Amino acid sequence: MAIATHGTASNYLQRAPSPSGLADVVDLILDKGLVIDAYVRIAVIGIELITIDARIVIASVDTYLRFAEAVNRLDLTQTEAAGLKELRDGSDGNGGDGKSKGMVEGAKEAFSSDDRKKEDAGRG
Amino acid sequence: MTVQISRSPGADQASANGVYCYGITWATAAPPRGEGVGGKVVAAVRDGELAALTSPVESTKVRAKRRDLLNHSEVLAAALERGTVLPLRFGVVFENEAALVEGFLRSRQEELAALLRKFEGKVELTVRAQYEENAILAEIVQANPRIAQLREQTRGGQDAATYPLRAELGERVADELQRRTERDRKALLDRLSPLAVDTEVDRERIEHQALRASFLVKRRDVTAFDDVMDELAGTHAGRIRFKYVGPLAPHSFVSVTPLESR
Repeated sequence: MAIATHGTASNYLQRAPSPSGLADVVDLILDKGLVIDAYVRIAVIGIELITIDARIVIASVDTYLRFAEAVNRLDLTQTEAAGLKELRDGSDGNGGDGKSKGMVEGAKEAFSSDDRKKEDAGRG
Repeated sequence: MTVQISRSPGADQASANGVYCYGITWATAAPPRGEGVGGKVVAAVRDGELAALTSPVESTKVRAKRRDLLNHSEVLAAALERGTVLPLRFGVVFENEAALVEGFLRSRQEELAALLRKFEGKVELTVRAQYEENAILAEIVQANPRIAQLREQTRGGQDAATYPLRAELGERVADELQRRTERDRKALLDRLSPLAVDTEVDRERIEHQALRASFLVKRRDVTAFDDVMDELAGTHAGRIRFKYVGPLAPHSFVSVTPLESR
């Protein structure tokens, strides 16, 4: 599916006509959409679909220490320089979501046991 | 989060005539095309003024593959290009065509037709706004003298002596991040919601997520929405990354009356 970016801030706006990855599709069609009453839905696919979302924020000391570590790692002079360079060059060098990955990787995926090994291996 | 789709009694029995259903359109819509679940051809089953987008399944025990999820989504996207479509959640199988027609299309005719009219000329747009970690943390440090001070005091020391300071630093950062999230979320919604007929905001707290929302927008207003998205990406360049998807079928906005309450 073609992904088009446009406008002055194209680095920071990813526009897609339809969901571009499995995680987005799962959000859309497993959690949302018309549900038909159990009585009418006489049979449903016999699978267990599991979605893992590691990014949910939980207020805990562990979370705080992780934040503290991230702030300590921060190179403030570098952050400013990098931000300006990106604006000037109009390119962040990877053109994708890579930079938005934070302290916890945005790992959300859906799988049904054997499907996962087979297809993930092929697609990365 | 675990989603378990339960099976009703009898579902284990093989049914050679199973009908998988993707969505509902007007009977007059152009015929569907493309591949559905299990690679089967998608076809319309019509009754009165309604049509169901379906494909055959050999058994009611179908294993969902990655490709099947993507195909479900693509069938609906293709239907949306040709008119209005009510998207069904993934995984609905009727025992046979008669069960689909009599148990759903016909018995729900008025309700489904009213929904199709309601969503006529409207599409769903989804927006996800994610903070750039380094940028937002730098903002927080620079705007908060106490946080900057704690940072200086704990840099390079991960030992027990700095533990209370690190815990305080982290808590302050987390609180500040939450405040900024609420502020930015409100600012983004204030610009986007006025262009939408309806807005659904996901309130789940996801790390570094400033906003995740779905907007029901009139097709003729999509261009204006695009422009506002461009403007917002410009305003927040360097600190927020946007993912903007659509036009989609109105996944986040459809619902039917549960049988029990009728």
